[in-house]
Order: sequence, then structure tokens, then C-alpha cells
Amino acid sequence: MAVGAAAPATAQPGNAANRAKLSQPAPANPRQTGNNTFQFALANGMQVLVIPDHRAPVATQMLWFRVGAVDDPPGLSGMAHFFEHMMFRGTKEVPDDGFAQTIAKNGGENNAFTDHDYTAFYEQIAKDRLPLAMKLEADRLVNLDLSDSHVGPERDVVLEERRMRVDNEPMSLMAEQMHAALHLSHPYGRPVIGWSEEVRRIDRVTAQDFYNHHYAPNNAILVIAGDVTPDEVRQMAQDTYGKVSARELQPRAEFTEPPRLAETRMTIVRSDARVPILSRLYRVTSYAQGRPGQAEGLETYAQLLGGDQTSILYRVLVEQKKLATDAGASYDGYARDAGEFSVYAVPRPGVSLEALEKAVDQVLGVNALALPRDNDLARAKTQLIASVTYRRDSQFALASAYGQALTIGLTVDDVNEWPARIRAVNAEGVRKAAQSLSRRDAVTAHLVPGGGK
Amino acid sequence: MALVLTLSASIFWSALPATAANIKNIDLGKDAQVWFAEDHTVPIIAFNISLPAGSAYDPSGKAGLATFAASMMDEGAGNLDSKAFHEALANRAISFSARAERDYLVISISTLKENAPEAMRLLQMALTHPHFDNEPLQRVRTQIIQSLQQEQAEPRQVASRAFTREFFGGHAYAHPVSGEIDSVTSITAQDIRNFARSHWVKYGLKVAVAGDITAPALTKLLGDAFLPVSGAKPPVLPNVGRLGAPGVHVVPLPVPQPSAVFGLPGIMRQDPDFIPGYVANYILGGGGFSSRLTEEVRVKRGLTYGISTSLSSYNKAAVLQGSVATRANAIRQTVQVVKDTMADFVAKGPTQQELDDAKTYLTGSFPLAFASNSGTASQLGTFQRQNLDIGYVARRNGLIEAVTLADVKRVAKRLFDPARLTVVIGGTPADGGRAAPTVPRPPVRPAPPPQQPESAPPANGPLPVPSVTSPPKPADKPVAGPVTAPQGAKKP
Repeated sequence: MAVGAAAPATAQPGNAANRAKLSQPAPANPRQTGNNTFQFALANGMQVLVIPDHRAPVATQMLWFRVGAVDDPPGLSGMAHFFEHMMFRGTKEVPDDGFAQTIAKNGGENNAFTDHDYTAFYEQIAKDRLPLAMKLEADRLVNLDLSDSHVGPERDVVLEERRMRVDNEPMSLMAEQMHAALHLSHPYGRPVIGWSEEVRRIDRVTAQDFYNHHYAPNNAILVIAGDVTPDEVRQMAQDTYGKVSARELQPRAEFTEPPRLAETRMTIVRSDARVPILSRLYRVTSYAQGRPGQAEGLETYAQLLGGDQTSILYRVLVEQKKLATDAGASYDGYARDAGEFSVYAVPRPGVSLEALEKAVDQVLGVNALALPRDNDLARAKTQLIASVTYRRDSQFALASAYGQALTIGLTVDDVNEWPARIRAVNAEGVRKAAQSLSRRDAVTAHLVPGGGK
Repeated sequence: MALVLTLSASIFWSALPATAANIKNIDLGKDAQVWFAEDHTVPIIAFNISLPAGSAYDPSGKAGLATFAASMMDEGAGNLDSKAFHEALANRAISFSARAERDYLVISISTLKENAPEAMRLLQMALTHPHFDNEPLQRVRTQIIQSLQQEQAEPRQVASRAFTREFFGGHAYAHPVSGEIDSVTSITAQDIRNFARSHWVKYGLKVAVAGDITAPALTKLLGDAFLPVSGAKPPVLPNVGRLGAPGVHVVPLPVPQPSAVFGLPGIMRQDPDFIPGYVANYILGGGGFSSRLTEEVRVKRGLTYGISTSLSSYNKAAVLQGSVATRANAIRQTVQVVKDTMADFVAKGPTQQELDDAKTYLTGSFPLAFASNSGTASQLGTFQRQNLDIGYVARRNGLIEAVTLADVKRVAKRLFDPARLTVVIGGTPADGGRAAPTVPRPPVRPAPPPQQPESAPPANGPLPVPSVTSPPKPADKPVAGPVTAPQGAKKP
């Protein structure tokens, strides 16, 4: 299915029910959709969200694309991330690194990031330079000038980035192997940055093809936070992005997740690891996939189980049993498909990873049986709910929260109602979350110092 | 589509946020300094508190004491043991962190408006009645040591730690902020108690506050909180001798991507050349995608993901420091490109265009630092630690505007002398060249704390120092990039 030129980007192929939320077209004029959010759409399909914040005369622009590492062509892992880099390599009008140079010389800061489900570009700049930032983004949205002389060096840059982030970091290497093992067939198992062997195969032709099929106003969500009004933004967006035609998109491939029949275990021995670590990664449901309350239950459980030094894992493993020097858990539920729940622990010197794992499993087992203590649950919920207030302090954090949610198929309401949904999580909901973690759907890794690499 | 890129260099930089333009002094006695930016948009208050308790005050043989003490700050005080103290913070979602830099202990607190009294009560307890109980002490010690052990395998940390030792020679800045495994092992509860007693004091206290509170309420809150804190005068730091150990030093490490940390004597903050020096550094290596080093090393040659330099001034010394990482068979070549780029910059100086662009960036991006309460408090705290006055915020952009091409050329000559460059490579170069002097493997090295979205050296301000961090959880996304300039770096 391709999204037609004039149609707003409403018909993203999707896991039906959840994605259907997207199909309510946004109005042409800004409409208030929350306490302080306004939405509209341009005729070419670009969706726009405005979050006014008048504390400083600055604005944050984020342009989110519904393309990410899951859309890497077969055999070319890392393409989406590589392409994010190429977006800074120039257009006919703004050649070479003119984009970043122009933003900088106008007092702005800019960068970008790539994940499995999305790619996002952002600028933070004085409010009166926002039209310029929009012009520049609209320009590279369709006019990118890909040439071999740019593709080659940028590929080397990405390979250096990979060496820095992954190859030099035993923990990152372990995480990469765990993700690859967790997702049997889904591309969530591929590293966003790509496998070196495949990154080396990316060339100008494959990059151009990727651009043509994924970068278009009808595949983008614009979020503007800062010292602006919704009407101002609408005018500026129409004058810039509005002049870019919609493109026929390559439909996003749909991936299913075959059942896992057994747990996966791995022991990674590295001479560059100096401290052992136990890590476990569960494939679980996400905000986009889960039934109402399910993801919120996992979120609350992760906070209560391992969110900080007051959590159950820290209390039991570190303080009481003295088996670990650190332990924690986290939930990443902001994904179009499966979410991930992770648990880790670092043994005290002299404690084996096997003994530590046994103790971790004991904690997890207890939580699947017994309801959490009232004060623990209340504290976990307080912290999660307060995080939303803290987020309001940062234009970037606010814009990110909405941009990410909209890009993976959630709605502004989902973001705005999140605190109330967390408030509604009860002890039984947390126990259900604990019960839903199955080692059959998990990878357990032991990172062991020593030996050759 | 035609793009209008050359907007006039109008004085848009003068559009300072109201909060930044209205910074008030709060009176807390003559030995303390409090700056306050009032804003009621979001119901939170951010505190950035600096005490003269940095690593430079570590006694001989006890390197890492200031960091250890900072890590113990929330591990029990008054009638609360470690667990109860953590819960008191978490029950009200108060964010509390303490880390040692070279000169200062910096405490960052963020709280919802209604919990500010409780946050200040806990801070007061931590400062005046800390426990340093045995259980948390041993736990934190093990955490620090594990963190130091892991850093021994990380080229950036290896290089950075060796650089600091080589560069600062015998001075109190030469030892790693987080200490050495041996020294941290030897630190006792009594050591920490003594350190806290003489350094966790309000003499020289600096407090920056931003957010949803009024001046009278804040005056009362801080007055009460710091009333019982000791006013003892901490010892004065020794002056620094010669800085730098020119040449390329190698600390061998079998890694695919070595790191090079390099540096030169910097310019002190009080020196009139500091601002021109800051501008010169921005043009050479300070500006994300816009710098000459990024252009030469990354854009033209694809040699690295990130290269940057920064000009940092401490109380007793200043350093111009940079870092770059590349594959083993290109590291010497990369260091040479750095030197050549410096030499060229000194010989020809910047162009007028480069200077103009630097000015519009540095002045135009200044308001970005004041777009949040936490950003404002943190930026004001940085200014306080550099001993600037409250009026500096309003003057700052004008100082940058006043820098001339001749200033930058002159200061560039003073700063960037490639012959004096101290270079330390962590890793094993595989691209030939003359054999470099090898320095003995240090037992441990300092680790900059991981920053989000990625770890890059700060564009300015003091060097990043290690916080006691646990090994990261297995999460590896999203991948940030392509620019390596740090988000939210403090402005000069």
C-alpha cells in the first residue's frame, strides 16, 4: 500500500487496531488537543503539533519521520542511521555542511537520532530564526544532493561511530548480541547502527533509493515547542513545508513475531570487560500493542522492581543479601511492535553470576506471587507521575515525548492521559506484569571478564 | 526554492529570556553567594549548589576522597539511615545528586515546588549530620572500584587519565578526580568525616536557584537550610607550576579504536584574553560541525566520529584540551592532522567570516541555556564557580561582540602552539611513524560520565569528572548523531 500524494499520512500500514488511531485526519487549522498542545495538518500530509512555552525567546523544532532501522533494506543494516548522517551532507541550495553551519551561525544547535521505528532531526534556535530552520529542513527533505564523494567519507565516519559506541564497549556488544538473539525474525534484532559488514555495502544508489521512498512530508510529523503560537507556526509551516509535494511512499514492511519456544542463554567472555554483569532482556508488550493498562503495569513494575536505590532488586540483592553492588530494571514500551523489559545486576567480588542469577529469579518469582507493598507501589507511581512534571521543564523532552508517541502510532491523548493511567495501576496490575515475564521470551547473558576477545 | 541564508547579523542576541535578565541576589551572609532566577511557568525548582570540596583538596595518598565523600552524601544522615534517606527523596520524587569536580563539590537538586522544604531539610541533614555508616561505605567503595576497573579497558579514559597526570605534573589537579583503586581502597570513614567537616562549609558557598518560588520564600528556605552549616574557612589550593609535557605519549591497549587526548596551557578566566581565546577555540575545535578540526578530520577525511577541543579554567590553572578517536591504523595520521590544522590556524588566523559566524553562534545560542529551570540553575552555577559577578549575564554577549579579528589572531598564537602540544594515545597505534615515548600503564583513569544523548567532551567549563556510575543497562538506542557536540553544554 502506498500513501497517495494528497492524502495525509494517515494510512500507515499497521497492526490494524492500534494504528487505526492515526487515521483520524488532523484539521487544517490548529486545534487544541490537550492542556497545551495544538494540532493540524498541511495539505501535503505533514502532521504538525505545537507546544507553546514562553519562558525564553527560543524554539525547538523536531521533525520526526516514520522510518527507522526496521526499514533498512535487506543486507544493508544501518541504512536508516547512515541516512540520518547523509541528511547533513548538503543540497543544491545549501551544499556540503551548510545546514549545520547555517544553524550554528544563527545561534542554533542541531542534531538528529535514529531508532528502530523512527528518525528525528531537531534544531534549538532563537524564535525569530525558526522560519530559517524550517526552510532548511524543508529543503533537505526533498533536495538532498547525494554524491559518491560524500557517501564514502560519511560511511567511514559511521564505522568510527560504531567502533566508539559498540566495538570498544563490551556492554554494548553484549546488548547487541542479546537483541539479535531475542528477536527471532523481527528487525528489532538488528542493531540500529548496523553490522559493520553491511554498513560497508551501503552506496550512493542504495542511499538514494532509501531517500526517495521514505523522506516526504507525508511521512513526517513536525513538533514545535517554545515561544510560538499555533497560528504563527501554521503560517511558517505552510510557507516552507507546505511547498513540498507529497511523495509516493514505500509501504513499511509488516513484521510478525514468531513464538519463542525456549529461553536463550549466552556467555560472553571479553578481555576488555573488567567487571562481570548479569543481564536479561524480555520480549514483552508495548504501549502500541498492549491491552489498556498492560504497558502501564510493566512501566510501574520496572520502576518498583529496579528503578532506583529504593527498588526491590537494589534492596534485596545489594543491601540485604549483599550479592550485588548494583541492580536494576527498566521497561521500553515505546515501540510499534514488541516492547522490551530488562533486568541487570553486577555481582560483588567473589559472587558468581550463577548465584546472582538465582537470587534475581527468586525476586522475580516472589513478585509474581505476592502483591507489592503499598508504600513501594505508591512511591513508584509518584516518581513516574512526577517525571511528567519534570519533563515540562524542557522543550526538548516535551517535544520528544509527543514526537515519539505520534511516530509509533499513539495519540496526543495517550501522552496526556499517561499520568492518569499510571495512577490507575493497582497492586494486582503490577503482579500481572510480573507474571507476564517469561524466561521463554527472554535472553539471559553473562558478561565474563578474561580470556581472548 | 531559494533560501535566504544570510539574515542580517541583527542584535537578536540581545533577546535574553526574562528570567536571565532578572537574576536577583539573595542575601545569605557575606561568605555565601546566592543567585535566583524566578519563573512560575512550571511548578518545579532547580538548585545548583557549589562548595569548596573538589578533588584538588584530596590529601596525599587519598586521591578520590572528595568523590567518595560526595557519593556518600545521600547514604544516611540525621535520623535516617541509608535506605530511609533514599526513600525520603524518592517518596517525593526529589532528584538529588552530588559530584566532585576539581575545585568544587556540585550538588544538583530538582524538586516539585511543594516539596522544596523537604528537599532543603534533607540537604541540611546531609551537610551537617552525615552518617558514613559502614554498610553503605563498603558498598559505595566497591561500586567506585568496579567503575575504575572497567575504565582501565576504555581507551578514552586511559588516555584522559594519563593526560591529566602528564599535563598537571605535581599539582593537586594531576590526580584523577575519582581516585585510584589503591587510594580509594585506603579511604576510611574517618577520612571522609574529616573531609566533610573541613570542606562541606558555607565559606565560599555558591547557590544558583531557578524556578517556581518567590524571593522571600527562597531567602527563608535557604537561610534555614544553611544556618547550622559550618562557616569554617577551607584551606587554600597551591599555585600551579609549569603545565604540559610536550610530545606524544602512548598507553598501549589492545582496542580497535584508540583515543587521543591532547592539550595546551589555557587562559585563566580572569585574563582579558579568555573571551577572545574562547572564540578562537570555537573556530578551531569547539563548534560541533562548524569547526576547522571537524572539517579537516571528520568531513574531509572520515577519520573520526567526533573531534572537539575546549578551553577550561579552574581556580588555579587553565587548559585547552581536546580528544579524538579513530581506528588504530589512522591514529598517528589523525594527530598529525590536528597539529597541521593548529599550525595553519596560527599562521593565517581565522577569516572575518569565521569570526562573524562564531560570534553569531556564541551570542545567539546563549538564550538556549536559559530555556528551562534546570538549565538556568546549571548555567548560573557555572558562572558562579568561575567567580563571575551577577552582572556578567547581561554583559556576556557584548564581550563576545567586542572581539576583533586582531584579538583572535593574537590569542590564537598564544594558545595553539603545536610544538607544545601534550598528546596521550590510549590504545596501540598501527600506522607507523616514529616510536613515541611509552608511559607506564596507570592503575586507573578518570572517566567522564556518560552524557545523553552521547558522551562527548564539554564545549567548555571544567572537564567532566567521573560520577559513581553503575554499569549501564543493556539498552542501546536510539543512536544519536551525527553531530558530536554535547547538548546543553555550559556557555562561557
